[in-house]
Amino acid sequence: MNWLRELTRRLGMLAHRRQFDADLQEEMRLHLELRQEEQIASGMSVADARAAARRRFGNVQRIEERSREAWQWPTLESIWADVRYALRQLRKSPAFAITVILTIALGIGANTAIFTLVHAILMKSLPVADPKSLYRIGDKDDCCLTDGLQNENGDFDLFSYRFYQQLRESTPEFAQLAAMQAEQNPMSVRHGNTALAEQTEFVSGNYFSTLGVGAFAGRPLTDGDDTVGATPAVVMSYQAWRADFSSDASVVGTTFYLQSQPVTVVGIAPPAFFGDRINANPPAFWIPLSAQPLLNPANPLLDQPAICWLYALGRVGPGASVGPLQEKISAILRQWISTQDAYTTIAGSTLAQRLHVVLTPGGAGIQNLQQKTGKGLYLLLAISGLVLLVACANVANLLLARATKRKVETSIRMALGAAQRRLIRQMLTESLLLGCLGGLAGLAVAYSGTRVILALAFPDSPHSAIQATPSLSVIAFVLLVSLLNGMVFGIVPTWITSHGEPAEALRGASRSGSDRVSLPQKSLIVFQAALSVLLLVVAGLLTRSLQNMEHQDLGVQTTNRYVLHLDPAGAGYQPEKLNALYEALERQFSAIPGVQTSGLALYSPLDGGHWGFDVAIPGRPEPRPNQNCESLLNRVTPNFLETLGQTIIRGRGFTANDTANSQSVAVVNRAFVKKFFPNEDPIGRHFGSYDKEDIGAYEIVGIVADAKYTAPRDEAQPMYFRPLSQWQYELKDPVSVAIEAQSHYITAIMMQFRGQPQNLDASVRRALGNVDPNLTIIDLHSFDYQVTGNFNQERLIARLATLFGFLTLLLASVGLYGSTSYQVTRRTNEIGLRMALGANRNRVVALVMRGAFTQVALGLALGIPIALIAAHYIADQLYAVKSYDPLSLAVAILVLSAATALAGFIPARRAASIDPIRVLRNQ
Amino acid sequence: MLRGADLHRDEIPPGTLYLLILKTLARSGEMHGYEIANSIQRISDDVLQVEEGSLYPALQRMLIKGWVKATWGTTAGNRRARYYQLTATGRKQLGVEMSQFERVIGAITRVIEAI
Repeated sequence: MNWLRELTRRLGMLAHRRQFDADLQEEMRLHLELRQEEQIASGMSVADARAAARRRFGNVQRIEERSREAWQWPTLESIWADVRYALRQLRKSPAFAITVILTIALGIGANTAIFTLVHAILMKSLPVADPKSLYRIGDKDDCCLTDGLQNENGDFDLFSYRFYQQLRESTPEFAQLAAMQAEQNPMSVRHGNTALAEQTEFVSGNYFSTLGVGAFAGRPLTDGDDTVGATPAVVMSYQAWRADFSSDASVVGTTFYLQSQPVTVVGIAPPAFFGDRINANPPAFWIPLSAQPLLNPANPLLDQPAICWLYALGRVGPGASVGPLQEKISAILRQWISTQDAYTTIAGSTLAQRLHVVLTPGGAGIQNLQQKTGKGLYLLLAISGLVLLVACANVANLLLARATKRKVETSIRMALGAAQRRLIRQMLTESLLLGCLGGLAGLAVAYSGTRVILALAFPDSPHSAIQATPSLSVIAFVLLVSLLNGMVFGIVPTWITSHGEPAEALRGASRSGSDRVSLPQKSLIVFQAALSVLLLVVAGLLTRSLQNMEHQDLGVQTTNRYVLHLDPAGAGYQPEKLNALYEALERQFSAIPGVQTSGLALYSPLDGGHWGFDVAIPGRPEPRPNQNCESLLNRVTPNFLETLGQTIIRGRGFTANDTANSQSVAVVNRAFVKKFFPNEDPIGRHFGSYDKEDIGAYEIVGIVADAKYTAPRDEAQPMYFRPLSQWQYELKDPVSVAIEAQSHYITAIMMQFRGQPQNLDASVRRALGNVDPNLTIIDLHSFDYQVTGNFNQERLIARLATLFGFLTLLLASVGLYGSTSYQVTRRTNEIGLRMALGANRNRVVALVMRGAFTQVALGLALGIPIALIAAHYIADQLYAVKSYDPLSLAVAILVLSAATALAGFIPARRAASIDPIRVLRNQ
Repeated sequence: MLRGADLHRDEIPPGTLYLLILKTLARSGEMHGYEIANSIQRISDDVLQVEEGSLYPALQRMLIKGWVKATWGTTAGNRRARYYQLTATGRKQLGVEMSQFERVIGAITRVIEAI
């Protein structure tokens, strides 16, 4: 620990610098005076005595300087001199400097961009008080409206309002327990002359106090707001307030109209607050749960014990432990379910016994986005890490080659007496400088990279909660990595060359003696080649998977088709007014110039919406408890399927004659037939979907081709279509009545144009305005845009992987080129001699190329098995591509070989142009 | 006119300055810089002459290494001076320097006598 004490003393000195200088000066002055007095006493004149004393003492200034140096590290001046020297050296070889800086910038930039994303999406806690004590009851990304029994293992993560109330009363372990809507819906918002669609979320009154979030202006919601009766109080997000209401402080306390119902904006949330989950489209309004029936009268949910639509997030009080709490809630759940009439169907089943909840840390909120993107992001992080490795290898290689070139210079300096330490310090300064410059450039790459990546991954998200700015910790991380990079890859070559024997190097710089650098150089190339093939194979697999996904037959046509999303409930439509509205809409939209056909639907393919029902066929035995009888339902107008290009295979589609008064009819798809009528003719058969309430109510009149409406990765699901014009008025169960009503509210209008539409936006606005000025556009896009939007993340990952793959290839090629050139320079004499002895140019080229290809072949031998293993690990990210894909492998090998040929051929040609005469003369 | 003293004064061998200072301090306890310089010169019968100034950087380095410690006191002539004193580490270091010196001198002597 001697050095530690020494360090403390040195630091102490730094702190008392002035005192130190004064002490030293006084001491030396005393010395001179005493010596002078002694001389005077021995008979000298005063002047002579002073001169003699000074002579014996030496140069006062220099001694002071040396005394000070004893205490200090190399002074700033000498470091600055090193930096200036390094800059001068780099300016002398700009190609080298730029290559190294760019290499580091790309490696670090790619890594930082991805890390920033990972950090922003996967690692951030909500901007709330003490996120660590928040726990969510539930662990899955189940959504929207279910009976809670969606998981066969009994995992319960969506709750009804009734059960949430029950939980709040019976779990004092939670200091606070908040509930929030699983789905976030756009609602129509009107304030003064402003009318637009904004994202909303129903939350419990204690939502803000549970999260520990206040208000930027006004006040947050309180439990008092969460009561039925008064005008609902809502809180607006800061982002929406700034973007859509120009930060107008006077809106606080005023009346807004949500879905045409008056509400009071009581506060603006803090700027950093985006809600309980990270996503690209966070809510603009938080509305108390109690206002749900008012804003969605067609489907009131508060009194429905079996409709689960809420997530629960609570703050665990001090002293409560999570394990027992989870058991307790599971027990409460099982007990409560057994008392509910709505759940009598599962009474006594194994599912009822298996019901349970899982408590998960809720500091990051509801982690749906995290669950969806996590694997892809970590894959990208791994890939970008490999890019950084390759970049580092390249930098090491370049520095090695440079150090070798400067061996003579170094040797001369050592022979002239330069201290080895001093030389190492200078070379290290140079590589640290390169590292820092590269890191800074990398930050710029990362900053713009992250923005581009986010824009590609989440288009149309003006208020996105995903912040892409590299945080301070990310920046610190980058600079640290760059410094380490510079240090590690500076010190090795420096060490190797500064240990050279000066005499040996001076004797003959061009002679090939023992070669310390070529083995590490070659190993680095092998390593780079292996990583290149790995990344190229992964990129190939992901790209093929994306192509398969994009070019698959979805069962619908997208050319010249456009989708409008809207919300009639938002414009205040009651169920009995819907039929007239739809007729008017059909009339207006088919009259838009250029429109060939148009159709209305509950939802359109791949727009994120779906409705699932359990189908019951009369005469079939009761389904077993775990038997899957689910099918998707869509409600459409007669022209909808035709507009989509979904063809009727047998029977008929819907017509204007299918009305409220005629026989209830359904059109089913092929998958439905396969699932429910595998060996029978379904036409004319009946089925129902409201359990015992509508046994065999609908008659199958037609079969339509399959189309994918929900998950583009999965097979087309069984689906039946019902006309929007038919209603089941005979239903009694309030849940059934509510669902039946809700399923008549369209969200999409599909239009097929004859060619490119003119003034689409204006025509659609006019058509809507002609029907009802209160109807607002939620969004309007081409159908193609909507479909390809489903592949945004896959496309992004595939493109980035390809980009990174080629980046790696480029780096590896540059490395190979550099090391081959170096070998050629080193072997100039040998090659010249061979040529003098009769080797022709082709053989020289072959000799050099063989060297390059040997390294790459070794890299392939190492890289292909690794690539196969890696492919196995990403198999679940692939669509219609096997993890062993000979094509991707062959392409990767081919591309790498082509790059090798190019990188090897240039130095090989130079080798072949060596003039044997000149070489011999030099000997 | 040549003065005898000037003729016979030799630079001290490099690396031995620490040893000389350590030994001087060990012998006399507490001394300030001027006294150390004089003492080395006197005991070596005026053969070894320290370039007096170089004593001070050496003393600084020894302070850093913890071989000596310094306190301000007053001289016999009632002047303020910094007195140096050996520490325990310094005493140990003296042993190290001594044995190293003896090894080198022994080796040199053997070489000379062999010729």
